[in-house]
Amino acid sequence: MGLRGTPLLVLLAVAAVGLLAGTLWLWPVLARRGAAVIALRIGLLVALQASVLGVVFVSVNRTYGFYASWSDLLGTDHMVAQVVAARPSVTRAAASDLASPLVSLASSPVVVPGARRGQGGRLEEVRFTGPVSGIAVTGHVYLPPGYSPASRPLPVIVVISRQAGSGAASYGAQRVAAVAAAQIRAGRMSPAIVAVLSPAVAGRADQGCLDSPGGPQAGTFFSQDLPQTLTLAYHAATGPSGWAVLGGAGGGYCALQLATAPSGQFGVAAAAPGTYMLPPGRGETGGSPGLRSQDSLLWRLRHWPPPPVRILFAGPGQARHFISLVRPPMTVATIGPAAGPLPLAPVLDWIGHALAGRP
Amino acid sequence: MGLTSGTLLLVAIAAAAGSLVAIVWAWPRLARRRPAHLAARLAAIAVSQLLVIAVFLIWLNSYFSFYASWSQLPGASAGTRPAVLQRAGAVASLVTVYGSRPGPAPGRSRLAPLADGAGTLPREAAESAPATAGRLQQVVIRGERTGLSSGPGYVYLPPQYFQPAYARTRFPVVLAVTGYPGLAGGIIHRLALPEVAARLIASGRVRPTVYVMLTVSPLFPADTECTDVPGGPQVASFLAQDVPRAVERTFRVTASPAGWGALGYSTGGYCAVKLAMMYPDRFSAAVSMAGYYQGVRGHPVPGLWGGSIGYWHENSPSWRLRHLPAPPVSVLVTSSRVGDESLPGTLAFLREIRPPMRGYSLIIPDGGHNFRTWNRELTPCLKWLSHRLS
Repeated sequence: MGLRGTPLLVLLAVAAVGLLAGTLWLWPVLARRGAAVIALRIGLLVALQASVLGVVFVSVNRTYGFYASWSDLLGTDHMVAQVVAARPSVTRAAASDLASPLVSLASSPVVVPGARRGQGGRLEEVRFTGPVSGIAVTGHVYLPPGYSPASRPLPVIVVISRQAGSGAASYGAQRVAAVAAAQIRAGRMSPAIVAVLSPAVAGRADQGCLDSPGGPQAGTFFSQDLPQTLTLAYHAATGPSGWAVLGGAGGGYCALQLATAPSGQFGVAAAAPGTYMLPPGRGETGGSPGLRSQDSLLWRLRHWPPPPVRILFAGPGQARHFISLVRPPMTVATIGPAAGPLPLAPVLDWIGHALAGRP
Repeated sequence: MGLTSGTLLLVAIAAAAGSLVAIVWAWPRLARRRPAHLAARLAAIAVSQLLVIAVFLIWLNSYFSFYASWSQLPGASAGTRPAVLQRAGAVASLVTVYGSRPGPAPGRSRLAPLADGAGTLPREAAESAPATAGRLQQVVIRGERTGLSSGPGYVYLPPQYFQPAYARTRFPVVLAVTGYPGLAGGIIHRLALPEVAARLIASGRVRPTVYVMLTVSPLFPADTECTDVPGGPQVASFLAQDVPRAVERTFRVTASPAGWGALGYSTGGYCAVKLAMMYPDRFSAAVSMAGYYQGVRGHPVPGLWGGSIGYWHENSPSWRLRHLPAPPVSVLVTSSRVGDESLPGTLAFLREIRPPMRGYSLIIPDGGHNFRTWNRELTPCLKWLSHRLS
């Protein structure tokens, strides 16, 4: 009779009812004196208790499925099996599965005025393919002079800017690389790897570098795929203390959002002027009020513990509300004008200092 | 009186036995054929029966390590703890050690039972040679970014951790999580993971590894299914980011995902696979014993998926395999041909796996959804993990 079968349960239930009726019925008969009678009382009570307990145990076991069989319950089953490798379903493999996470498309030297060729580092155009998000996007990676896989790991600055692709714009890849090279050469900034990307990675409008539920996983791309990919491809620092995010033109919300996310990989963030209240152009939260509320940076500061990040704003201006909610270990600093584009050189200097752990 | 304390069980046993003695003794006084006497007999039997069932349930709870205290029982008012436990400037250590004792030595007797709750392991004493027995520490891990706290958890440090030859070695780590409901003590006593691991490490079949053992639900009794609940506790980030970061800072373990694995049973199995697939930057291998591969629906936890079908999809390993790139991780899934309802879901999930993800299975002929089954499966699972972690 199976441990989980109905017959056992029925048998136990019938036994319990029968024993109960029998006990009540035979009670007067067993009221006499004598050791044998007392033994009978005890026997009857124990049998009744045991049958009721049996009903309870079998029903609980049927509901939760703890034990499959008698041998399982008694521990007499010692059969084991082998670990078998599953045959991978290659037919289902998609192109993005096997794509290399980072492909270098082009590489050019960065020229610093007054320096010899080759002393400004290199700017590579690369194709990222996120191993988790599947998002594929083209961006730029600046490698400082003297970068070599053999040297010590370098900190990384991720620049998120709508102008990423338009070279000479104030937050375009070429200009960011040129300014970084100049600052490093002048000794005002410690060498760092700089990646420049557009916030609109998911093939459509800027979603604030957030995941769309069941849709494009831009948040996963920036917070996990990008750090992992850069770490594997270059000799980059691991851990938030070596990673900064700089929100240039239109990337301010992204930078602050990524720095305050619980899964955050960034220990330093700088943001261009803006209100930072809600993500730009965020359409889809999958109808979830919970996701919508945690999109708000102010909500995060009120409800989540302050993360150990250092943040730089361009002038207090519109960020005053944000700054008023900052508590340690989070710290804020402000720089330059409260309006207009964030001046790149001093911001890079500040980030370089923050990454080096200096005040 | 604590729910898992021995005192409670003893008191309940005494009450049940006393009730039986009282009935046998008072028997003749209830022997008339009158309705009042009949009712009294029935009442006496019912009271005694309830006491016996209470003994059974108290024993069952502590045997399976389900609930640690009265307030954790379903329906208790303490159900909604705030997500943020720590707000002030976080300078304190992220891992607090509450107790420590020598690890299980192969060939020696079983570890003595140990109740859950802070401070039940002896506080760090002048310890006898951890280089031969390793060390089992009771810890609470605080999440730096999520503010969550692990509750009582354990860290097993193998003997090699204390040996001079390994003084510069950074060890691989396995994060083991319970099912729901479940306390971390279940991994120690019922699954016997430290014992099995110590035996395998001593015989050289498993590389010296650090095991971190936690409950799957840090906000127990809330069943959070290791999920970043929208607008709520960020449990996935806690288990997959905060905990590894805290462990890396406290112990001599590797920071590379290649050295991190996850293991769990039941809900913990779902979590191990889900977290590895969502965070391959943290874990490179996962073992799911009798797990499931779709997020639970129609759940008592309000707002688990934030009211979003899409978010539920993202938290379902099966859906992820169909709609997102296969992540570069290896998973071992276990089930049994007879006795566990997880078999069809497990086989279906296995069929979806494609490169660069790798799937392995361990299907035993017979075994229910219980610790005995998982304990039988543990040796091959730990060996498999050891082969994958570097």
